[in-house]
Amino acid sequence: MSFLTTIANKIAPIYPMAKRWLYKFHGGVFPKYNKSLSTRNPIYPPLIPNVLILPLPQAIGEKAEPLVKVGEHVLKNQLLAQADADANRKLVVPIHAPTSGTIAAIEARTLPHASGLQELCLILQPDQQDQAIDNALKVDGTWPEEPQALKDLLVHSGIIGMGGAGFPTYAKLPKQKGKIHTLVINGAECEPFISCDDLLMQTQAKSIWHGAQITAQALGCQKILCGIETNKPKAIGLMQKALDAVQKEAKSLPMEIHQVATVYPMGGQKQLVFEVTGIELESGGHAIDQGLLMMNVATLAAIHRAVEFGEPLTSRLVTVSGEGLQEGFNIDALIGTPFNELTAIARPKSPIDYPLIMGGPMMGVRMPDNHVPVLKTTNCILANPPEPREMQMPCIRCGECMDACPVNLLPQQMYWHAQGHEYEKVEKLNIKDCIECGCCSYVCPSHIPLVQYYRHAKSEIKALNADKEAKEIAKQRHEFRLERIEREKAEREARLKAKKQAVKKQASAAKTPSAAASAAKAAAAKAKAASAKGNDNKPLSAREKAIQAAQKAAANKQGQTDNDKKTKGQSIATAKDKAIAAAAAKKRAQAAAAKQANATNNELSTQTEKTVAEPDSQPMNAREKAIAAAKKRAQDAAAKKAQSNPKTETTAEQQKAPPQVEDSQTTDLSANDQQTSPALEKEQARKQAVAKAREAAAARKKTQQAKAQESITEAPENASDNEASTGIKAKPADARQKAIAAAKAAAAKRAANKANSANAQKQKDSTE
Amino acid sequence: MQWMDWLLEFEAIVIFLGLALAFGLALGFAAVRFKVEGNPVAEQIDRELPQTQCGQCGFPGCKPYAEALANGESEVNLCVPGGTEVMIKIAEITGREEKPMDDSVDEEKPPMTAWIDEDLCIGCVLCIKACPVDAILGATKMMHTVIQQECTGCDLCAPVCPVDCIEMKPKQVTLKNWQWPEPQMQLEPKPLAELAEPAK
Repeated sequence: MSFLTTIANKIAPIYPMAKRWLYKFHGGVFPKYNKSLSTRNPIYPPLIPNVLILPLPQAIGEKAEPLVKVGEHVLKNQLLAQADADANRKLVVPIHAPTSGTIAAIEARTLPHASGLQELCLILQPDQQDQAIDNALKVDGTWPEEPQALKDLLVHSGIIGMGGAGFPTYAKLPKQKGKIHTLVINGAECEPFISCDDLLMQTQAKSIWHGAQITAQALGCQKILCGIETNKPKAIGLMQKALDAVQKEAKSLPMEIHQVATVYPMGGQKQLVFEVTGIELESGGHAIDQGLLMMNVATLAAIHRAVEFGEPLTSRLVTVSGEGLQEGFNIDALIGTPFNELTAIARPKSPIDYPLIMGGPMMGVRMPDNHVPVLKTTNCILANPPEPREMQMPCIRCGECMDACPVNLLPQQMYWHAQGHEYEKVEKLNIKDCIECGCCSYVCPSHIPLVQYYRHAKSEIKALNADKEAKEIAKQRHEFRLERIEREKAEREARLKAKKQAVKKQASAAKTPSAAASAAKAAAAKAKAASAKGNDNKPLSAREKAIQAAQKAAANKQGQTDNDKKTKGQSIATAKDKAIAAAAAKKRAQAAAAKQANATNNELSTQTEKTVAEPDSQPMNAREKAIAAAKKRAQDAAAKKAQSNPKTETTAEQQKAPPQVEDSQTTDLSANDQQTSPALEKEQARKQAVAKAREAAAARKKTQQAKAQESITEAPENASDNEASTGIKAKPADARQKAIAAAKAAAAKRAANKANSANAQKQKDSTE
Repeated sequence: MQWMDWLLEFEAIVIFLGLALAFGLALGFAAVRFKVEGNPVAEQIDRELPQTQCGQCGFPGCKPYAEALANGESEVNLCVPGGTEVMIKIAEITGREEKPMDDSVDEEKPPMTAWIDEDLCIGCVLCIKACPVDAILGATKMMHTVIQQECTGCDLCAPVCPVDCIEMKPKQVTLKNWQWPEPQMQLEPKPLAELAEPAK
């Protein structure tokens, strides 16, 4: 007892906060401890209850997989539920049978959790024989030298942090040796009423030290510090005695006991670490990062039993205490013992019709049901009859909570924002560092349940963050889906196209080996068609030229001509004429097409595709059909040309390159082959387009008439103007002139040929 | 010197023309050099939207709605799952007037997810095609099921089901997503008149 302690204790009655001089961390409160309620009685003899309830999920982590069936007889320490293959990731903790008996059921039972939710539990009916499997973990009693060896052992032992948080111990330990320099043993036990750690230190001090030594050896720690509050002099004395004995047994690393001030919450990790080592853990930081590891005395004792004797964790010391009980006590209770069976032994002052509390009065939670089982984290069952709750008053901003907060937060501000549901602001005030110790609620003169607000805010923040994550995932999934649909569509189209092409190739492969030849044949067919019509008698040389032109066109794959023109051109134009200036004619045709782009847009778009896709390959039967279709179309066109037909247009038609005619025909045919009604529609559309084109041509003619048509040069100029305006590249003047000359010749020829035919006569009239 | 005077008279104009040119060049350079791809406002709005992709706003997903909002082509109060909270955020981002949500919108609706009655499912894959986030698992003439973690509760699958085997259920409360309830402020003390025993 130092001088400062004496002074502080002297001043305390006048100025209670003088006690805060005795420890390093900020804040803290000095509640009434009431520990004697349970410490005055010895540890209660072991009790096997009528039923054991073993929840599959632990405090943290996923559910364990049950290995037993209903009705199966199990022995003590038998593995009942196993961790999955990757237990490390999912933090699953195995469950062992606390005693021998039969599995009565695997069903949903209310959990000892504030939510009152139900989860799957193994219901074990003890047979009171308590037949055990010795050395269930199959250990040879040697202490592991490497962290991984210890971790592997702990995974199967089912040991979790027994101080309250319940984090699986194997997951807490670092993988590398030497990362931890100091092992801190937490024997502070700062909560009122609870005395299980005190009793454990009094009865199993040696086991605790051994457990600490095992851990320190495996992890390569340099020293072990044990923090015990000064209000447990018996425990301190016995621990010291055991320490001396342990150190006498074998040379060991330095171990010492720190007597720490009695203040709530001295048992908090950050608080005790700061107290015994002087290292203040940063916000959000873990002790491990600082080379520190803290373990509860109960955890260390369990580790010792697991390593030394191969005993899994199946029981723990539990304090049964409270104002409502006459005889509070501590008991080495089997995990899964229902709360009410334990409180019944403690001779309740009045029937317990109020909810029991798991944990201490500061941090404990009221149970939804008094039949809930003892968990590995249950350190205390508290039966405090409910007191009339103090009226909650508005916050007066006294700042008491701020002074009491052991983690230097601003409880008042956090409360303010939590009340206003401004959770982002609460988050910014570092609510995640709040240890929910309840000091602020304890000191609040307005009796505001501050911790409840923080718990709610914390879960809200958690939900908001989970929401944000879910949103991001949903967005990604949606985007991926859109992408996938797009890709599938493209793939389908590509597949269809490939199939079509393959069919075409197969059909044409037999007859026409090469594209050029097929085009040539097509041209020949065309010529035949024309000759069959009787309009023209083409010399052979002209046909050859046409074939050449066809090859060229096929190579170029320029199928961008307007189709209605082709149909017309087909009837009137002759291969001979075309052959004179094939290239020039093509360009001219394109120009004309561009002029009529508006009229024939739809057609072009539908037909161009096909022309491009199947420019040269043409099946034989298709060709025959083409001949028939050409004839028909020629007749149609001839009939139509009874109406006005501008000169420029006719020249273009006449000079259109033969291959293009073929192309357009091919498309038409394929359309006809495949489906008749769309083909008819197209035909109609084409007719409409032709009509429109004629209108446009008539308008153009008017402008030309102003200049009088006798001059030859003017008309091409007009045409070139139009070309320029439609953005088609200007062709050389000589070509144009040639074309014009050709057109004239063609017109003359046509006139000669069709002199007898009324249609031709009319057409000529209209041109003039 | 006549021309000097003339020059001096137009000095200001020359200076400002020069400045205008300089700033114009600077701005032009900046526009090219620091060009922002996409619409940042749309991105910002998209982040606030709940990403259920439910289409209740009339757009085929959250992003199209965000883009329409960014272009000022849509109302701020169309996001049904987002509710008033999202409406306010959108109004803040776009700088537009807040508009109350439609009256028919149930604000207090808990988050829902779709559940398929697997006994009734005929395996028609219609719901799979309707799901905007691919949260339904199944194949033709096979039983389908909803991947609960991925379901956004957009309710697009329920109407397309030919046998009505899809039901929207509130999300299950588990130990993982359970929330501490908010403490209730105690009510004001009752007026004395109510506490007084009624006269006999």
